[in-house]
Amino acid sequence: MLRHVTRKAAGWLLMIVVATNATYFLASWFLDPRANFRELRPVRTEEQIDRALAPYHLDPRVPLVHRWWEWLTSVVRHFDWGSSPTGVAVNDEIGHRALVSAELVVIATVLSVLLGVALGVYTASRQYGWADRLSQVVSVLVLNIPTSVAALAVVSVAIWLNQHAGLHFLYVAGENSPNVEGLLPTIGDRLLHLILPTLTLTLMGYVGHHLTQRSLLLDTLHADYVRTARATGLTRARAIRRHALRTALIPTATSVAFSIPALFTGAVITETIFGWNGMGRYFLQTIAKNDVHGTVATAAFAAALTAVGAILADIATVFLDPRVRVS
Amino acid sequence: MTRTTTLPHPAPRPAATTPVLSVRDLRISFPSEAGTVEAVRGVSFDLLPGRTLGIVGESGSGKSATAMGVMGLLPPTADVTGQVLLNGRDLVGLDDKALSAVRGADLGMIFQDPLSALTPIFSVGRQLSDALRVHQSLTKRAAWDRAVELLDLVGIPDPRGRARAFPHEFSGGMRQRVVIALAIANRPSVLIADEPTTALDVTVQAQILDVLRVARRETGAALVLITHDLGVVAGHADDIAVMYAGRTVERAGVAELFDRPVMPYTAGLLAAVPTVDGGERRPLVPIGGEPPALVDPPPGCAFADRCRVAADACRTTDPALRDIPGHGQAACLRAGEIADGTLDPAGPAPDGTPGPVTGPAAPGEVVLRVEDLVKTFPVTRGGVLKRRVGTVHAVNGVSFELRAGETLGLVGESGSGKTTTLLEILRLKRPEGGRIEIAGTEVAGAGAEVQKLRREVQIVLQDPLGALDPRLPVHHLLAEPLQAVGADRAAVRARVPELLRLVGLDPAVSDRFPAALSGGQRQRVGIARALATEPKLLVLDEPLSALDVSVQAGVINLLARLRRELSLATLVVAHDLGVVRHLADRVAVMYLGQLVETGPTEALFADPRHPYTRALLSAVPVPDPVRERARERLVLAGEQPGATRPPEGCVFVDRCPLYRHAGAELRRRCRTERPAPTAVDGAPGHRHACHAA
Repeated sequence: MLRHVTRKAAGWLLMIVVATNATYFLASWFLDPRANFRELRPVRTEEQIDRALAPYHLDPRVPLVHRWWEWLTSVVRHFDWGSSPTGVAVNDEIGHRALVSAELVVIATVLSVLLGVALGVYTASRQYGWADRLSQVVSVLVLNIPTSVAALAVVSVAIWLNQHAGLHFLYVAGENSPNVEGLLPTIGDRLLHLILPTLTLTLMGYVGHHLTQRSLLLDTLHADYVRTARATGLTRARAIRRHALRTALIPTATSVAFSIPALFTGAVITETIFGWNGMGRYFLQTIAKNDVHGTVATAAFAAALTAVGAILADIATVFLDPRVRVS
Repeated sequence: MTRTTTLPHPAPRPAATTPVLSVRDLRISFPSEAGTVEAVRGVSFDLLPGRTLGIVGESGSGKSATAMGVMGLLPPTADVTGQVLLNGRDLVGLDDKALSAVRGADLGMIFQDPLSALTPIFSVGRQLSDALRVHQSLTKRAAWDRAVELLDLVGIPDPRGRARAFPHEFSGGMRQRVVIALAIANRPSVLIADEPTTALDVTVQAQILDVLRVARRETGAALVLITHDLGVVAGHADDIAVMYAGRTVERAGVAELFDRPVMPYTAGLLAAVPTVDGGERRPLVPIGGEPPALVDPPPGCAFADRCRVAADACRTTDPALRDIPGHGQAACLRAGEIADGTLDPAGPAPDGTPGPVTGPAAPGEVVLRVEDLVKTFPVTRGGVLKRRVGTVHAVNGVSFELRAGETLGLVGESGSGKTTTLLEILRLKRPEGGRIEIAGTEVAGAGAEVQKLRREVQIVLQDPLGALDPRLPVHHLLAEPLQAVGADRAAVRARVPELLRLVGLDPAVSDRFPAALSGGQRQRVGIARALATEPKLLVLDEPLSALDVSVQAGVINLLARLRRELSLATLVVAHDLGVVRHLADRVAVMYLGQLVETGPTEALFADPRHPYTRALLSAVPVPDPVRERARERLVLAGEQPGATRPPEGCVFVDRCPLYRHAGAELRRRCRTERPAPTAVDGAPGHRHACHAA
């Protein structure tokens, strides 16, 4: 098992290196850091701009290969991913934002998987019952609501609640309140701020898990081996949990693991509406601001997450399906 | 190991014992889009301790629904009434929790398809010990040890090591042994086996039936044996209940039932079964018609429309099961007359019965010649860089000839290379080794040549429902091959009704879709489609295995007639030796990609020479309790090995009963020298490949 994971990890590492370097060249070709200085007043000459970019290894007069080498050595030697055209260190930005995104995404992912799978199991074992039909209707409706609409709806409901119930813990914007001090108050404050964005992300995320888990389980629910298990004396519920669900969870585990990178960088709309500075917004900002190093670092971050997701998927599969261990 | 065994005679009926399982007026219905399906309409039976009740019936007769009703495993939508008394306690209406305390503990069940009956992600040892721990408080270790004992009991070699293996690492026969071990794990008092051997090869079927007997002896359980195979019940049941359209239509001891069936349906079923033993092969008598739909069953006897001796009263009153003196019970108004012998259930000599099926038409020119055919498949390993680690010799030096008007039956267990041989012929490309000649042309694979040859070779597949496009009506299905060879509209319009009449269908079916046809009708459409281009060679891959016995006989007779009338050369692959005996003029027996014996059907069935052929024939149960229990059976142990590394000498050497008793010199030859086909003295055309025979 360990050997298998190491071998996989080595393969993924190679993939990350290739993908990141390819992104570097693509970003350098398509993004023009000089654009950030052109709107500045007083107007600067091209030469001034180039000189301003030089300390960050972004000077377009230097050959691309040379710039790339500088960037690569600083990444490999000091794990320094460079700076934006305006001189902000990428490492600081990403370090902070990755934490913010993790806060936002991890809880929401766990909740939406739990909710989705639980609903899927509950409704699949009661196929065509009223609970199944009702939750199906709700899920299909939610599936068709764009994130922005859902998030704004959540915000307005929260504001209404705050006004009518005199509540003040549903924060509709920001990651934290200013002027909160001490460890416990800080954690409490951040958690309160998390409620609404997590609710939105969970709502958006559970639907897929519900619908796919339901159909996956329906496939195995009527399998002969579930009947055999019941014939040995398991109740229907236990036979489903032990024999049908485990087989049906394998694809879900894989898809959750692979969706992690997309979640980190893809929660842009939720981040924007609730005013969170996460990886999703950063990714858009770096591209909009022609920040070559920021874009490349984000891409590398996503690639690393993909690798982690893939390895997690492998581990989950081995855990759920012991047959894999045999071969 | 090979054993020669005989079956025990039916147990004498014990005097006045209380039945362990007693079913009273069981009725099961399911809602469906067409209306309520009354799958079981009043079934009653008693099962005495230690006895075996065989429930026989065709698909849709309600036998599986009965089993599921007894087990309480019907879907929640099913409506169940009546009583299922297990040791005096009524199981109908109990909730899932109460029933699950009974299932596995007092009631064990064995299912039809061993390939899907075991959870793929748990080792068999884990599944067995889980089953034990559901009802007994055992430590994990004790349960595991008991599981190993159970695997040993059902004949899994190296049970301790194999307990850790997963279901996909076992063959079908071995998996069915595991399923039996699961069923008997908690020593139930009743075992229910639903078609336990239908999905298996005959030689494996014989082994599994033996295991079932051992399991019964060990646990003392009474057995409900559900099957469509009259041969299986003849050898293994004490009492038989025959089901038709959701009802028990006849119930009797095994000897009485086979000796003189009093219900015309039972009699018809017995007349329609193709058998492998007994002197002359008799023409089969199909029952005709199809079982009624159970959505709105007819008011009278459900069999009346197919019955040759139905009276007017039969169509209006539904007869109850009543005692027939000296026989058992039957649900037939005329059972009394049939029982005293005043009425023949087959009816007055039916006109239009098929003529003699034996005797090939004068053999014509050679239509298909296969010489030394070889087909191998590579065994590869590795994901990105595939490397060849072995070779499967699927077909290894097969030669035969087929003439116009002649039928050759290719038999053997699954994995013997029968289907690969067919596919190689149908591929119409130059084979990997050897040569194939169709209608005098050597198959070489040139484009135009293939087009021309395609017309001459047609195939009929096993599952007519899968082989016919469900979205095309019959007319289009038959027109398609005609258009493919360039027939114009007028020709198509004239030819389609002609084809339908040729296969015994009413041209009125031409606007129906395959789903609206019965199984037998569908297979007839499949045959008509194959005949559309007037081929010289018709290849049939298991053409009857998807059909019920009563329908099968009609298709067998149809094929015999077509072959005679059209002087077709037909190549039939079938696992049912009885069917092959009735279809084929000559038989070729395959084992591990080689022909081990070929010969005229009657000569080969009467006097099999190769030990494998003998074992194969011996494994087929005979639907006659007296002969079935008296005859000596040769049970081949083990299963056909994979064809990755066939033995250097005779391919059958590892399972051969003759090899075991052979002298040292003969053994050496069998080990090292591949036997060449040798002619049998005084039997032209009968050849076998065996050193010892």
